[in-house]
Amino acid sequence: MDAIEAAACKLPLVPRQPTPYALKLKASARDNYISIVSFAAFLVAWELVCRLGIIGAYQLVPPSQLVTTFIMKLTNANPDGGTLLEHTETSLVLALTGFGAAVLVGVPLGLFMGWYKPLDIMVTPIFDAVRPIPPIAWIPLAIIWLGIGLPAKAFIIWLAAFVPCVINSYTGIKLTNPVLIRVAQIYGASNWETFYKIGVPSAIPMVFTGLKLSLNASWTTLVAAELLAASQGLGYLIQMGRRLAKPDIIIVGMLTIGFTGALMSWGLNRIEARFASSKRVRL
Amino acid sequence: MKIVRALKSKLLLPVMSVGICIAIWQVLHLIIGGEFLPSPYQVYREAVRMFSVKIGGNTVWMHVYYSLRRVVIAYLLGAATGLPLGMYMGWNRTFDKVVKPVFEVLRPIPPIAWIPIAILWLGIGEGPKIFICYVGAFVIFVLNAYTGMRYTDPLLIAAARTYGASRRQQLFNVAIPASMPSVFAGVQNALSMSWMCVLAAELVGAREGVGYLIIQGMDMYKPPMIMVGMIIIGIIGASLAAILRRFERVVCPWRRDLT
Repeated sequence: MDAIEAAACKLPLVPRQPTPYALKLKASARDNYISIVSFAAFLVAWELVCRLGIIGAYQLVPPSQLVTTFIMKLTNANPDGGTLLEHTETSLVLALTGFGAAVLVGVPLGLFMGWYKPLDIMVTPIFDAVRPIPPIAWIPLAIIWLGIGLPAKAFIIWLAAFVPCVINSYTGIKLTNPVLIRVAQIYGASNWETFYKIGVPSAIPMVFTGLKLSLNASWTTLVAAELLAASQGLGYLIQMGRRLAKPDIIIVGMLTIGFTGALMSWGLNRIEARFASSKRVRL
Repeated sequence: MKIVRALKSKLLLPVMSVGICIAIWQVLHLIIGGEFLPSPYQVYREAVRMFSVKIGGNTVWMHVYYSLRRVVIAYLLGAATGLPLGMYMGWNRTFDKVVKPVFEVLRPIPPIAWIPIAILWLGIGEGPKIFICYVGAFVIFVLNAYTGMRYTDPLLIAAARTYGASRRQQLFNVAIPASMPSVFAGVQNALSMSWMCVLAAELVGAREGVGYLIIQGMDMYKPPMIMVGMIIIGIIGASLAAILRRFERVVCPWRRDLT
């Protein structure tokens, strides 16, 4: 008896452990406090670094000055020829035009490519050859072809958004459960009926993934195009900020770009949740 | 016999697709014509010329080398900092809550939007270009490492705990291997992202690199030169992706069936 107890005492004691993060999926109130405090600390540290002159005024400005610049830029067109809202509007219109056109062309093309073999065989080679070239590399050619106005930028953005639309729609419809297709055929559905009653609905979750990637790509590419050739827009704004050595304008512009991009993604997520949640598409 | 057939189908398809592409390109050239869309042959001649002269004081190979060097340095830096950060964020809740807000504010800003401030901070040398690529790769590394870690199957960790694994063992023997597939998705994306970023940075302002090649073609109004540059960019991008796929197969052999 004693021997067993002695042996039990020699077993390594497993200390009480905190619950691993992976086992906790809900945030608690404490987590939110930590986040708020750490963000505030970040802002204070940033402010101090600038105020104490550790980083020069031509490289970084304190957050308090960003706020004043932001309010100023809402109404004042100086020094870059447009208020913040005008720049944002220009960029948004451009990005959404390119994105919309890409969705209108890319999604149907991808779906048809995935469904109709001859189209697949015809288009896929071209697509595969063009795909490894990043859309940004098309900028010089687009400028030569279409000048430096809106068409060139719209073309680049269209191209950037087009590729993910096609790939995801294509993959989505290729992954349609073959059992469902066979069931439809057995019940006498025509090829077209099978396509739009079985194939398209089951591809929708993938299509939405593609739309999200497309939106991201078009926003990124828009910034690149505006950095290179523009007279208005958020990319132009930050480029002017650099030319004038005004970090406050650059950072306000960057944050606006980030915020607008995040807002658009959020909108798309809402649409997805409304129309394409996995509960609705049950296939 | 089987090997020969596999080789044939593997070689035949790409060759055919490139062939079809060139044919369509030639037709388009005949329709649109002129200098706007040069014919494949003109582009070939331009390529031969470009490889035999120096452009902006460097051979084409040197331009490729410059771009690749920037990408590789930035990519490795991004992996060395982004992966541990993302993994630790996914592992330790307090650390996650501390870092997350700042990261979430910076994350939606496209790396390309960092170009102006990078130039302001780091001048116009190698610094800003490497920085831009670094930002692009870093964000993707962090996100994927975080997701992989955060969504490790809780059952695996619970099982490890039941068998008395220490926190350390849970981390190194369970959570990190389990997050590898997600990490590897990031490894691919981060590379294509930094390849795109180096181009953008070189388009905005550089004296060397493949981005400089195509911007030079634009300035001299030479569509064939731009197209040679674009083809080089495409080939390098595709090869980088292919190399990583091989690498993934070595490191994550259990995913062979998926790729």
